Amino acid sequence: MNLESVEKNHSREMMLRLKAAALPSHGENPTPPDEMTRRDAIRVLMGASSALALGLSGCERKPKRQIISRVAGPEYQTPGKALYYSSTWTEGPYPYGLMIKTVDGRPIKIEGNPDHAINRGTTSAPMQAAVLSLYDPDRSRAPSHNGRTTPWDGADRLVIEALRSASSVVLMTRSNLGPTERELVLKFISSTRNGRHFVHEVVHDGPRLASWEKIYGKKGEALPRFDRAAVILSLDSDFLGTDGAVLENIRLFTDGRQVSDADHRRAEISRLYVADGAMTVTGSNADHRIRLKPSAMGRLARVLLRAVEGDAKEVNAFASEAGVSSALLSAITEDLRSHRGNALVVAGPHLPEGVHAAVAMLNDALQAPGKTLDWNPVLPNLSVSDPADVEAAFERGVDVAILLDTNPVYDWPGKDFTPLLSKARLTVGHSLYLDETLAACELALPSSHNLESWNDAEPRGGVMSICQPVIAPLFDTRQSAESLLVWTKALSAEGDAMRNFEDWHNYLQRRWGERMAGAADGGEAERRQSWEDALRTGGSFVTAPPVPFPKLDRAAAEAMSQAEPQGSGLEAVFLPHHALHDGRFANNGWLQELPDPVSKVVWDNAASVSMQTAQRLGVAEGDRVAIRVGEHSVELPVLVQPGMADDVVALTLGHGRTAGGRTLEQAGGANVSRILGRSSQIAPRLAIGLQVTKGRGSQQVVRTQTEFSMHGRPIVLDGNLSEYREDAGFVEHKRHRPEPVTMFPPYDYSKGHKWAMAIDLGSCVGCNACVTACQAENNIPIVGRKQCANGREMHWIRIDRYLDGDTENPLVHQQPMLCQHCDNAPCESVCPVNATTHSPEGLNEMVYNRCVGTRYCSNNCPYKVRRFNFSRYHEVQMHDPVQELVFNPQVTVRGIGVMEKCTFCIQRINEGKFLAKNQGKAVEDGGIRTACQQACPAQAITFGDLNDAKSKIAKMHAAKRAFFVLEEYNVKPNVAYLARVRNPHPALAGPTTESRHG
Amino acid sequence: MSVDTIASLAAPSLFVGDVTLRTLDDDIYRPMESFPTMRWWMAIAVTGTMAAIFMVCAAITVVRGLGTWGINIPVGWGFAIVNFVFWIGIGHAGTLISAILFLFRQRWRTGIARFAEAMTVFAVIVALQFPLLHTGRPWLAMFWLVPYPNGQGIYQNFRSPLEWDVFAVSTYGLVSVMFWFTGLLPDLATARDRAVHPFRKLVYGVLSLGWKGSNRAWSHYEKAYLLFAGLSTPLVLSVHSIVSFDFAVSVVPGWHTTIFPPYFVAGAIFSGFAMVATLIIILRRMFRLKHLITDNHLELMNKIIVATSLMVGYAYAIEVFIAWYGGVAYERFAFMNRAFGPYAWAYWIMVTCNVFVPQLLWFKKVRRTVLLMYPVVILVNVGMWFERFVIVVTSLHRDFLPSSWGYYTPTIIDVGLLVGSFGVFLTLMLLFCRFLPTMAVAELKVILSEKQHDVARHG
Repeated sequence: MNLESVEKNHSREMMLRLKAAALPSHGENPTPPDEMTRRDAIRVLMGASSALALGLSGCERKPKRQIISRVAGPEYQTPGKALYYSSTWTEGPYPYGLMIKTVDGRPIKIEGNPDHAINRGTTSAPMQAAVLSLYDPDRSRAPSHNGRTTPWDGADRLVIEALRSASSVVLMTRSNLGPTERELVLKFISSTRNGRHFVHEVVHDGPRLASWEKIYGKKGEALPRFDRAAVILSLDSDFLGTDGAVLENIRLFTDGRQVSDADHRRAEISRLYVADGAMTVTGSNADHRIRLKPSAMGRLARVLLRAVEGDAKEVNAFASEAGVSSALLSAITEDLRSHRGNALVVAGPHLPEGVHAAVAMLNDALQAPGKTLDWNPVLPNLSVSDPADVEAAFERGVDVAILLDTNPVYDWPGKDFTPLLSKARLTVGHSLYLDETLAACELALPSSHNLESWNDAEPRGGVMSICQPVIAPLFDTRQSAESLLVWTKALSAEGDAMRNFEDWHNYLQRRWGERMAGAADGGEAERRQSWEDALRTGGSFVTAPPVPFPKLDRAAAEAMSQAEPQGSGLEAVFLPHHALHDGRFANNGWLQELPDPVSKVVWDNAASVSMQTAQRLGVAEGDRVAIRVGEHSVELPVLVQPGMADDVVALTLGHGRTAGGRTLEQAGGANVSRILGRSSQIAPRLAIGLQVTKGRGSQQVVRTQTEFSMHGRPIVLDGNLSEYREDAGFVEHKRHRPEPVTMFPPYDYSKGHKWAMAIDLGSCVGCNACVTACQAENNIPIVGRKQCANGREMHWIRIDRYLDGDTENPLVHQQPMLCQHCDNAPCESVCPVNATTHSPEGLNEMVYNRCVGTRYCSNNCPYKVRRFNFSRYHEVQMHDPVQELVFNPQVTVRGIGVMEKCTFCIQRINEGKFLAKNQGKAVEDGGIRTACQQACPAQAITFGDLNDAKSKIAKMHAAKRAFFVLEEYNVKPNVAYLARVRNPHPALAGPTTESRHG
Repeated sequence: MSVDTIASLAAPSLFVGDVTLRTLDDDIYRPMESFPTMRWWMAIAVTGTMAAIFMVCAAITVVRGLGTWGINIPVGWGFAIVNFVFWIGIGHAGTLISAILFLFRQRWRTGIARFAEAMTVFAVIVALQFPLLHTGRPWLAMFWLVPYPNGQGIYQNFRSPLEWDVFAVSTYGLVSVMFWFTGLLPDLATARDRAVHPFRKLVYGVLSLGWKGSNRAWSHYEKAYLLFAGLSTPLVLSVHSIVSFDFAVSVVPGWHTTIFPPYFVAGAIFSGFAMVATLIIILRRMFRLKHLITDNHLELMNKIIVATSLMVGYAYAIEVFIAWYGGVAYERFAFMNRAFGPYAWAYWIMVTCNVFVPQLLWFKKVRRTVLLMYPVVILVNVGMWFERFVIVVTSLHRDFLPSSWGYYTPTIIDVGLLVGSFGVFLTLMLLFCRFLPTMAVAELKVILSEKQHDVARHG
């Protein structure tokens, strides 16, 4: 029957095909980059235009220039074996290090580069999803001129001629250009007549950086060191979600929250106070949370500043005015005051300059600089241009407008950008997708993907990260820097140094050599070695000597801090999307389907308001509201979000895209950038005094979780630090241990391995990286908005979120939930065909081939972690010659009608076991890591062999904080959860799960 | 008290009017031998259309997958399992009437036994469609659940209640068909003997397996019939007990209860009798058999309905009591959620139709008046369907972890399959009325002759 076709082991077949095709090209790679061989010459002449015709899956697509894997020593590729390459994530808001797993020349999985100084081997969800974007068939595939495909040289000629005759040129880029790219931009601008470079970005640190520059007198950023802080106060900064170097922040924050049973009486963890307007990931992890309008943040900072400096008069007045508990404010004051030198205050990048000035003074008063704050003299991103300047430039008339990897037509704040763009004589767009901007440009040039590009990044002093491609461009694309180089070269005068650069790779390599002082002196061989080492490890990560923290100009800060945003009434904050960021990843199905860590919304955006605000506006969840700022308005459904400050509307950027792929067309939501403020304004991502009126009708906001109460069930347990100090096993009193009643002798797992997992809820911040990592590793399908609305999402791991206590300002519990691999698994006994069984190593295994899909196992699973293929979710992806490349060849692609679930990454377990066996060694503890574990920025997940008594997992399972979910059902789960230890102020210690559950 | 009344109390009259052996034959075989009436054609046009809807929806399900249904995670079972349990339950009345009432020598069963047995067979046929359709890969499920010798080296999982179902339901189906067919033999022979057209004679001749009506044949027949009755009797109890294990053996709060086997059996008989009453009232009107299927028959069935209604009501009450008394928070919640959660409407439809409404049958007038009892039995059918809906859906949609709670809304395909299943069932019933004797003529003749004998003796 044809329906059977999905059953065949698709990925294996594909692997064989790739393997067969890959072999002939083997050995071609190590072409010395500086010598042009005959073969190279032909290849260059033929141009990339023939690349598409070569077919995609038919051959291994090594990049043209030499790339170097992480393997030490001679590199050779065993067909079917993975090779890992270091690289850098340059498409996102922060340049983290990547370690890319490739199989037969095909990148299939992203990991964090363990050598990278900032993310240290961890990843975020958008990083994980990069492979899906790489193989996105909706990518722009060839240059086109007025909608007609044109070869690159034709396009180049057109641009160069226009540039030569142009009397004014505008170049618009994103802010996250690497140092070499920035240099090239300068070269380009200087080689044009009246060239101007504008940086367009909706999500940026503008006000904060500007404020720091003014009060510290130099460019740079204050880096929060959360691990060194005992008391942390965040003013609307979602540092665990979207603000700054999030992966590092999470690591540092959780470092400061570790406890050890051995020393529990003297356990010390940091205390996190969060004041925020919108409910955020950071707010969810707070020990105490204040719901406060963003416009009041400046006041709060100033009140606290006075209080810390000794004058606490204003505290009570402010508390009553802002509707905040004065006991809490006094506690914060007291805590900050008594923790000078290890207290830290951070403020969100969207807040006005004045707040940052006040916070800087507060940090100064707390002696934070140099202790809990470091100075980073290097800015990871370019500062953003004032939209008014850009508009003025276009109004004056532009001959050539070049827009590189930026999408102003979609997200230009407060205005339609298309009419401005059309004022330019020649418009050149360069982007990964035929997005809104490219559609409006005369010349639409396709950009190569991050994983097909060369680049570098320097987010911090001493951290130089290299981005090397791992695959030749899949389509007839070129990275924008390459284009810029081609154009600059053509414009530069005969004899100019620019002319010597063969290509962008060459330029980057030269510049790298120059940057690496020392190596540059050592001559060609040493320079080459330095380059190759950089490619192998991902860059150069040296501990830069600490930069002295600049002195605060108190008077300037004082003056600036008085500036308050004007207006009253409702306020809106524009939050970057947790996964889509500013919308650039909108065509990525993994990210669209990734539940919002707070609201669990997928494929949609909504206007989040508090219960009280919803009541006041007379709206219920799903009702559409029109939000008007100035002359623009946007209509969105309402989402009632506990934890939102009253009179605040939280809006998420990144939705409402209209062009650039088929995936984003499926998504709901609206584009909120029209009502965004301008960066010339005091706080562009903050709107004050908006009008919200009830719109017409209502619509479902698709969420993967709709019930947030634990209903008094002992699902997530937690305790306060005081409890833990008193009794490290406090959780024992809250557990419901079963009477071990069984008719059968227990199975003896003591021989061989006994796999188990432990999740430290004290570390997990609920960031979602594990979810996408699992999706990428295990070929988990995207089901789309409608299917999600019907509860058919396929994630094998999810983050459950429960709210507790005060309904308007709840305590948040987060719990990654995945198959618990129960030793007494309820799913196993009810399957009529033995499709799910228990392995001697304690794994609950799912035999897809045997499954007939009765779904009884899912019904009987108390954790509801089993996922069913209701439809042919992979149908399109499996038969698309590009999309199919993303599949992990080690994992079966499941067909319709079968059940699936977490396997503890059994392919990784077996790989680790085989490797150990081949080497004649025992499996080393920590040698096998699951995908979720590897990605986790908080390192909250531990996996290993319980039979290894010395292993970390054995220690975790024996930890006094360990408990098992639903253990009273005697299902004997193999996933232990370690209860979160909260650290409320002793004077305000709220209830914990004990009193809540009786 | 008149003699009549005393006689009717002792043994309710099973015939009305002047019924002789000849008129008995004529009345029962007439629908088979004459051209179908307009009513029959109209009826089959409607049911045939419904059956076609079933076929289309089933085809869509198989080709496009279960995504066309409303089920999801957490509600992995929906209308299909509800319908399955409902139809299996419907079949129970047939077996009860033909086997248990036979063993208890309940004479009144003869008038309705054949019809009820046919209902059983067709209900089982309809019921069997659902577990197969509801699997993700029916093309494999149809044989992987059966323990046949195979090269895969994997056997079935005999710990799974679904595997028990395979045996329970298939045994039930086979025994029901054989029992029904055995009972049909003498009547098929009569049809053969009455046939005029040679083709008709041939078909009924083959079907009656050369029945000659000899003493030997009758003697074997009666033994076989008794044997089948003996075989079927435990099946009445076992089938629905095992179907209830699908739920009772699981850990799902609201399913995991020990009362399920007797509760399901009582419910099955309850719904089965309601369905027999529903259909037989139409049948006796359509084919003018009021004198053979009398109000006494209906009254007796109604008595069983009210008795089983009380059992079912007791089960509802005790479930709630045990949920409270047991003190398991999840179970308490499951029952509170049934009564007051998002599916409270379904729960109260169930309680109203199954417990409150049938109490009307305490009144003799209601029991004996078709117009009064008909709404009651219809509502019992509705209520019993909702009972299964409540059990399946409300237990699943909110189980252990609130994070996974969901809601189930059937799709047009789900509804199509439900409506269509009635179409298939009724079409089969109509074809049965057209091609086979709807009443056990041979048995009726025995009762009739006894009655005539009694009349002759007592004058």
